[in-house]
Amino acid sequence: MKESGFRFGRARHLVGVVGLPASPADNVGVIVLNAGMVHRIGPFRLHVELTRRLNSCGYPTLRFDLSTLGDSGASAELQTRPQQIRADVADAMTLLGDKSGCTGFVLVGLCSGAENAHTAACTESRTAGAIFLDGYAYRTAGFMLRHYLPRLLNPSIWRGFLSRNLHHDPQPTDAPDFRHEYPQRSEIRADLTGMLDRGLKLSFIYSGGVSKYFNHRRQFRECFGGIASHPGLSVSFLEDTDHTYILGADRERLLDIVEDWLLHNFPVVATSISA
Amino acid sequence: MMALQEEALPCHFGSNNELFGFYHAAAGVARKAVLLCPPLGQDLIRSHRVYRQLAETLAAEGTAALRFDYYGSGDSAGRSVDVSWTRCIADIIVAARELRARSGCPVVIAFGARLGGSLAIAAAAAAHFAELIVWDPILDGVAHVMQLDTLQAALRLDPMRFVKPRSLQDVAGQWLGFAVGPRLRQQLIELSLQPPAIRTLVLDSLPATEAHDWDGLATAGASVTTLNPPTTWDDLDRLEHAILSHELIRTVSGRMREVAR
Repeated sequence: MKESGFRFGRARHLVGVVGLPASPADNVGVIVLNAGMVHRIGPFRLHVELTRRLNSCGYPTLRFDLSTLGDSGASAELQTRPQQIRADVADAMTLLGDKSGCTGFVLVGLCSGAENAHTAACTESRTAGAIFLDGYAYRTAGFMLRHYLPRLLNPSIWRGFLSRNLHHDPQPTDAPDFRHEYPQRSEIRADLTGMLDRGLKLSFIYSGGVSKYFNHRRQFRECFGGIASHPGLSVSFLEDTDHTYILGADRERLLDIVEDWLLHNFPVVATSISA
Repeated sequence: MMALQEEALPCHFGSNNELFGFYHAAAGVARKAVLLCPPLGQDLIRSHRVYRQLAETLAAEGTAALRFDYYGSGDSAGRSVDVSWTRCIADIIVAARELRARSGCPVVIAFGARLGGSLAIAAAAAAHFAELIVWDPILDGVAHVMQLDTLQAALRLDPMRFVKPRSLQDVAGQWLGFAVGPRLRQQLIELSLQPPAIRTLVLDSLPATEAHDWDGLATAGASVTTLNPPTTWDDLDRLEHAILSHELIRTVSGRMREVAR
């Protein structure tokens, strides 16, 4: 494994680290996007562990900072954020392609990174697949039943609810709130259908950290219907884990899933170097 | 006429290029340089932004700056469990040498937050620092280890993070997201910092509830400046919130201008 840091992009405003496998191989490259505001190393160094693991499996990788995040600057273009993200990802693919020779790419993103991977994958023709960690999902009737029914039958939860409301115990409010509105479910379903029709392979991995909107693997089908059965799509639910994989064993479990999925969908093919 | 400033560049240096850094060339001719020693663990991630802002501010004002990651941290080679106190100090010495070579400036001042400040103090003589600026440095290793153990124990049961409490085995050998080897743990327990023999500024942004025990440093001549608002370093509810401080950047920038005179 060999890593190199680069400043790159249409305005040389992006910063990332390319990792190349020890042996050249004819593989897709894997590009990891920022998780929220965390710089390219990822929460608790998740992206470093992930890219190095994939390098050892034979995949070239790039972990990088999108415009204005981490060590990256702004491009000084008049663009909407989705336009910036698409252009940044295109720049990232060009860099990794130049350094590794790969022409197809798998995008990986957690939380807002999953949304950004979705944005780029919708239109970027070099996208071969995407791994969405706590990506789009919508509360369903099934979610409500699984969420509220056990609580309705639990006296201690009723006691806590009554106590909080009787004593008007306010929650701390000084924490930043980055919530925003999701697009309509029908829009996301259409996007995913389009990706699958283009031959993309998609992996959705949900954690227990998003139990406020996702609480069972079958919820994906409840959200998006028939595409859940598409052979190019897989769904995993790691109920015990938190949103950012703070525990080492949870990160290992996640990395195992990602590695297995990649090896299954994009097998490593070693290339011989002709003299 | 304003001096043109070169763009900051990522770089690899040290033995086998194992260390990752980010060099911020000074606008114009650098008369001094600052080595930004990062903290460890989650403090490194939380303070990444403020370190970048500080480096950019200082570079624009004529001070060359090098940010870097210790072996086993950030973008540098190695696993988190490989981080050790002695290796961090060795890395600081290598990084100081790298900064002098890149900037052509023999005068290097070290800045460090939390354990980054403690490491800068410990490495001061060997790295030939001209001055130190340390932000809420950890001086009591035993208390710090106990604090991290306490937070890690609370993390296991945190209902805001986990649907169900995690087992003791799940959280063992880690501090707030990072694997910790027995060597680093023992090195922190045995931490004994000698007050530096060079000009030192302590930036104190600890909350009122915490011990502000800078007497050892102050007795040796360090000056102490209070920063507001306080920084919540050890709070599980803010574990993944960035640490930002315009007051810090303003104060360090002012101190660097003093050095220039």
